[in-house]
Amino acid sequence: MDRKGGGFHACQRHHKSSSGHDGDCTVREQDRFMPIANVIRIMRKVLPTHAKISDDSKETMQECVSEYISFITSEANERCQREQRKTITAEDVLWAMSKLGFDDYIEPLIAYLRRYRELEGVHHGSMRGEPLLKRAISMGALAPAAYPPAFHMGHHQGLFGGMAGCFMDGSGATSSHVAMAGYDPYSGYK
Amino acid sequence: MRQAGTYSGLLSGGISGRTGPHSLPLARIKKIMKKSGEDVKMISGEAPIVFSKACELFIEELTLRSWMVTLQSKRRTLHKDDITAAVIATDIFDFLVQMVSDSGSRGPAPAEMET
Repeated sequence: MDRKGGGFHACQRHHKSSSGHDGDCTVREQDRFMPIANVIRIMRKVLPTHAKISDDSKETMQECVSEYISFITSEANERCQREQRKTITAEDVLWAMSKLGFDDYIEPLIAYLRRYRELEGVHHGSMRGEPLLKRAISMGALAPAAYPPAFHMGHHQGLFGGMAGCFMDGSGATSSHVAMAGYDPYSGYK
Repeated sequence: MRQAGTYSGLLSGGISGRTGPHSLPLARIKKIMKKSGEDVKMISGEAPIVFSKACELFIEELTLRSWMVTLQSKRRTLHKDDITAAVIATDIFDFLVQMVSDSGSRGPAPAEMET
């Protein structure tokens, strides 16, 4: 199987949308992965300049990213179904990430989302935002200090414990505010 | 689901098309999300945006962990086996173990190509 040709491929891997496996799949190879140029660029950001990357590493990284998206999305989707909601929200995604062990990503992701919404707000006026960010901002949970690097060893349960009210409490800010009292979001990073 | 303007300028990457070339294409992310399950129905506009940054963090973390394996072998070229080792050594990457072990049959091993 040759992935380098792009386009259609002899299917060695299952995927749900094809109806027959006679070698001609309806899903194009590129659509299943992030563009390799983007993936390489991000890899290079964290590697020293002299580092070289084999072709099979790049392809493997592409596959890992897609697998990551599917993995998180499935968990987020299950939560939506349990709560009988039809739309997977940013909050669902963040919740799933934390549940599956990626809680180190949560803080930088909230900051990223907030910046996005500030920029979009300039163009589109009152865009009705999702509750996560409004509640987080009003609780002062988003400290303006610089964020630590994303990759830490171990899980910071303290961080998520404090933020739990922010993510999962649909009843309003009151109880979440109590949970946040005296909370130092950076205690785990010192 | 329509959110007018949400995707304008975002498909080519970057928040409102103005940030640097860091972001990943939102439409592609959304496609992959939809394919994660038969019953994935609707996806909010912001969910792919969270993923575009999360995938970046993910790639950075996996790359760095793999590179540490490369260094241990005193090499300067990151190989797929280094990624496999990093996946196995990291708990939160358990969901990848099957995949990195499976895809050994991609065809002839490529010659070491420098980029």
